[in-house]
Amino acid sequence: MRRITLLCVVIAIGAPRSRAQAADPATKELIEKLLARIDGLEKRVAELEKGGATASANAPQAAASPAPAPAKAPSAALAMHQSHDQAPAPQTAGPESAPVYPSLKIAGFSDLDFSATNLHTSSAGFGAQTLIEPHSGFEEGQFTLHFSSALSPRVTMFAETTLTARSDAGTGTPPAPGFNPEVERVIIRYDLNDYFKLSFGRYHTPINYWNTAFHHGQWLQTTISRPEMTQFGGSFIPVHFIGSLAEGAAPAGGLNLNYAVGMGNGRGQVIGRGGDFGDINNNRAWLANAFIKPDGLYGLQLGGSVYRDELNPLTAPAAREWIESAHVVWQKETPEFIAEFANVGHQPVSGATASNSQAFYVQTAYRLPWLEKQWKPYYRFEYIHVPKSDAIFRSVVPTFHASTVGVRYDITTFAAFKFEYRSYVRRDLPSIHGFFGQTSFTF
Amino acid sequence: MSKRGGSFSRRAMLLAALGLAGIAASGTAQGADVAIVVRPDVPVDNLTFAELRRLFLGDRQFWTSNLRVTLLVRAPGAREREVVLKTIYQMSEAQFRQYWIAKVFRAEAASGPRIVYSSEMAAELVSGMPGAVAFVDADLVPKGLKVLKINGLLPGTKGYPLH
Repeated sequence: MRRITLLCVVIAIGAPRSRAQAADPATKELIEKLLARIDGLEKRVAELEKGGATASANAPQAAASPAPAPAKAPSAALAMHQSHDQAPAPQTAGPESAPVYPSLKIAGFSDLDFSATNLHTSSAGFGAQTLIEPHSGFEEGQFTLHFSSALSPRVTMFAETTLTARSDAGTGTPPAPGFNPEVERVIIRYDLNDYFKLSFGRYHTPINYWNTAFHHGQWLQTTISRPEMTQFGGSFIPVHFIGSLAEGAAPAGGLNLNYAVGMGNGRGQVIGRGGDFGDINNNRAWLANAFIKPDGLYGLQLGGSVYRDELNPLTAPAAREWIESAHVVWQKETPEFIAEFANVGHQPVSGATASNSQAFYVQTAYRLPWLEKQWKPYYRFEYIHVPKSDAIFRSVVPTFHASTVGVRYDITTFAAFKFEYRSYVRRDLPSIHGFFGQTSFTF
Repeated sequence: MSKRGGSFSRRAMLLAALGLAGIAASGTAQGADVAIVVRPDVPVDNLTFAELRRLFLGDRQFWTSNLRVTLLVRAPGAREREVVLKTIYQMSEAQFRQYWIAKVFRAEAASGPRIVYSSEMAAELVSGMPGAVAFVDADLVPKGLKVLKINGLLPGTKGYPLH
């Protein structure tokens, strides 16, 4: 009898394993739930065998098992669990499995980096997250926490906070190294319907693709770092925007037109920062962004934006700023393709000569079909040109063109290794070559 | 046989039955259509395949201004999930998970789809949640739910896209 029992157990355990990976947490959880279900059924059978009176007395226990139950029983809601691609499970199941508000969900991202370059002086305008440092070595990346919560069927909030290692974020004189906390994004949004959603907060400015697609979780993006034109700590485009956005989407005959229009404080006096404490002048920045995702070419996104502000930077004369940008993206992995262009025009208020700076990048990658599809080689070319007449950009934005070649290896569904080689050719300055590595993950 | 031994034996038998039933189900259900089900009060009877994709991608979040869409998705391993990932999402399991992490990360959705573990559970939740939509084996659609046409076709019809 014991042998038969053992055989049964082997068959039972082996069956699901033949269809899913043994290490899959969802499968393990499913097995646990099946065991719980068996327990519940056994109890139920025992109660029924003892008599109807006992069964009715223990009705709540029976309802907790997923045995055939009335449609409004809470069993299904209780059985739902939470993972990365799921909603928060209701803490208490109402009569109609009603959602519970607020429904806070927290997710995290982090990364650890390594860089080694031939640079022996200051990185001269490259953003800190580009990892171009005068010394080789390991560097703690950003520790990022995301908070999302539905406050009602129509109101949702989202926040993104980071802790970033900096050489001067600690205490003492001179400041010791430490971690710099930052509220990167905090957004509250009211959804009237799919066509109109109104939000307020601190955003990643929706004037190009990368800035709204990848944010601070390095794991999500294919490469180690962002393109320099949209780099955190960089100045070419205003990465952050504090104000209000109206956005929505419409089918538009299969084109799937998405739009966003916004008004906010614009850049701060340090132009790499947004106006968190208020506008530095009485001219609000505004933006308009639109893109399409045609039904007929699933994966394609085409779009463009305009942005207008008046700048009062610390180190240059006041100027009016116009930004025009465009992007084309193939949002798949065989291949992946992202290309963006932006032109930033500065017209000094004093009437001095206007200037236009341009930047673009083209990135392509391909998820290899072999080795469990864990490898993804990639290449990116990027270019930034700042004319010497641009008094606002010339000291804070580097002029260069660069190539990046690398490979991403997905260790698991939620963690990756990335290795890349980069070569920067700079105007009037020595070229930079370097090797970079990163492990990034979500949790 | 002791009482403990009997309980263990019964549990083993039940586990074996569940395992064998799973094998049998995966065998017999091979190729069966997958039905998209909603509550009868959802004011939609037919979706184009592109509209269905927008719905499951989370790009369409409202049936009407007063009725929000709640997506219910089978747990990994279910054949219906594999069909939906292959036909609607055109994604691997890893890409699907990454897609929804990114969707929430971009603040485009407060959460991803809710996970259900069986067709019965999906049907139960669709019945109880206004605006919920789920996919179930077309042979297991319970009474009381509305099956949506896709491109004007019901499951079992020639040309139905979800199988």
